[in-house]
Amino acid sequence: MTTAAALFMAASWTFVLGLVVWCFRRVLKSESARVKH
Amino acid sequence: MWATRIGLILAMAGNAVGLGNFLRFPRQAVLNDGGSFMVAYFVALLLLGIPLMWIEWGVGRHGGAFGKGHIPGMFASLWKHPAAKYLGVIGLVIPLAVLTYYTYIESWTLAYTFFSITHGYWGLETQEAMLGYLQSFQGVSPTAVHAVWVPFAFFAGTLALNIFVVSKGISGGIERLAKIGMPVLFVFAAVLAVVVLTLPPGPDGHTAGDGLAFIYTPNMAGLSDASVWLAAAGQIFFTLSVGMGTLQAYASYLSKKDDIALSGLATASTNEAVEVVLGGSIAIPAAVVFFGVSGAVAVAGSGSFNLGFVTMPVIFQQLPMGGLLGFMWFGLLFFAGITSSVAMATPILAFFREEFGIGRERVAWGLGAVVFVLGLFHVAWLEHGFLDEWDYWAGTFGLVVFAVVEVILFIWIYGRQNAWHSIHEGADIRIPTAFKWIMGFVTPAYLLCILGWWGATDALPILMMEVAAGGGDVRPEAVPYIVASRALLVAMTLGFLWLIRLAWKRNHYDDRAGFVEHEEPTEAFIEVVV
Repeated sequence: MTTAAALFMAASWTFVLGLVVWCFRRVLKSESARVKH
Repeated sequence: MWATRIGLILAMAGNAVGLGNFLRFPRQAVLNDGGSFMVAYFVALLLLGIPLMWIEWGVGRHGGAFGKGHIPGMFASLWKHPAAKYLGVIGLVIPLAVLTYYTYIESWTLAYTFFSITHGYWGLETQEAMLGYLQSFQGVSPTAVHAVWVPFAFFAGTLALNIFVVSKGISGGIERLAKIGMPVLFVFAAVLAVVVLTLPPGPDGHTAGDGLAFIYTPNMAGLSDASVWLAAAGQIFFTLSVGMGTLQAYASYLSKKDDIALSGLATASTNEAVEVVLGGSIAIPAAVVFFGVSGAVAVAGSGSFNLGFVTMPVIFQQLPMGGLLGFMWFGLLFFAGITSSVAMATPILAFFREEFGIGRERVAWGLGAVVFVLGLFHVAWLEHGFLDEWDYWAGTFGLVVFAVVEVILFIWIYGRQNAWHSIHEGADIRIPTAFKWIMGFVTPAYLLCILGWWGATDALPILMMEVAAGGGDVRPEAVPYIVASRALLVAMTLGFLWLIRLAWKRNHYDDRAGFVEHEEPTEAFIEVVV
């Protein structure tokens, strides 16, 4: 695998997995805030 | 209503994650120059997919506030014009048509799960032999390995499972299925991806890394090819299950206090993670290890299902515990399929429950009977292109038409400012303002480009029978079946138009006055879904 392909793959995976993690962290945070209220 | 927010997101993601994530995505990537496709794919995700996801959640929740969980009602709540409800007919015809043939294809995955664990295809170690096995199962091969009743039985069983789930309602059926099915799907897909990515080099020295390299090697020259951009936009469209009426139906059970901005993004990102990380790491890398890059491209080009149903079973037979791996592969396809197909039934059920007051179980099993009868045509006439016609007109072109109508109604008629405000009600995040402009201008322009291009290059030649909907030339003996297939779609459209008219008369709706809005879902509406 070339360096360019490895970098593009790493960027793609980081983007989609990062977005999932960020979304679910925000969901869990807002859910716990709602429970407290 | 939805019992938990995680359950809602899993059900929405289950709706989006379907057979396309594992079968269509790798095929499209391989056929459209890998790296170029992926660049166009991410652009389409940002400009088309995510904005449409928010628009569909917004349309659905807005309709739900008026007690409408079906598209004719949602469109009528956005545009107080007598035509609005009739435009919504596409939101009934498309899910019914796609539900019918999708359940049939889903039944293949259930059958192959069974064949894998029982070693039903063991010994067929060439792609030609496995193709013969698939065609025998489908009843399109002159040399039959399977009894005639086998595909009918698996179709009936798969449909019964679907109807059983939807008959139990949103929280009791669909949400429960998503909470079981999605984790199983994640685990099966992750195990398979690890197995494939750690495979030793194949007979010609190819590795799984060569497959990943093919998908991810950026090739900027390929981006000058319009077909790559259209293929990528099409994949984003299909993978997120937009343009079908299902996301809206699920979102209609939310109130204005509920967030849709973050939940919509969570749904889209979950689907993308499954598609890009898992969907891209199984079929193509495995095919490249055993058949090389050129072999994988040839397989992908030879048919929509050959990679999944022909190549993968050949590969599993070469691996330790291949029966179990085959079970996991087809099992994950089955869960991906059923979590999507139950969603397709939802807007149709909502229409009959809300407008005609029919009990949930009655309408669910009634729908099952209709789908079974319609599905028999697909099972019996698969080789004549009956399914390909529905897949093109309802499951491909129809989705874009639906999205164009929906975007015009929500963004341009209901108003860009109103739509933006509606999406942000109860929101846990603030969507960047740039997306207000993207939703208002870029997404509609993108959609109109796809509609115009496909209309000119695909729809017209297929309509005139210059090319077959499934590709290739139209065989003269297939013409009566193609005509019958289209006639049935037209009859379904006319039937639903009549039912919409009947529903509006029966309930004395005034198109110009609109529906009564409720702060919270009404008791009657809750009775419909829970």
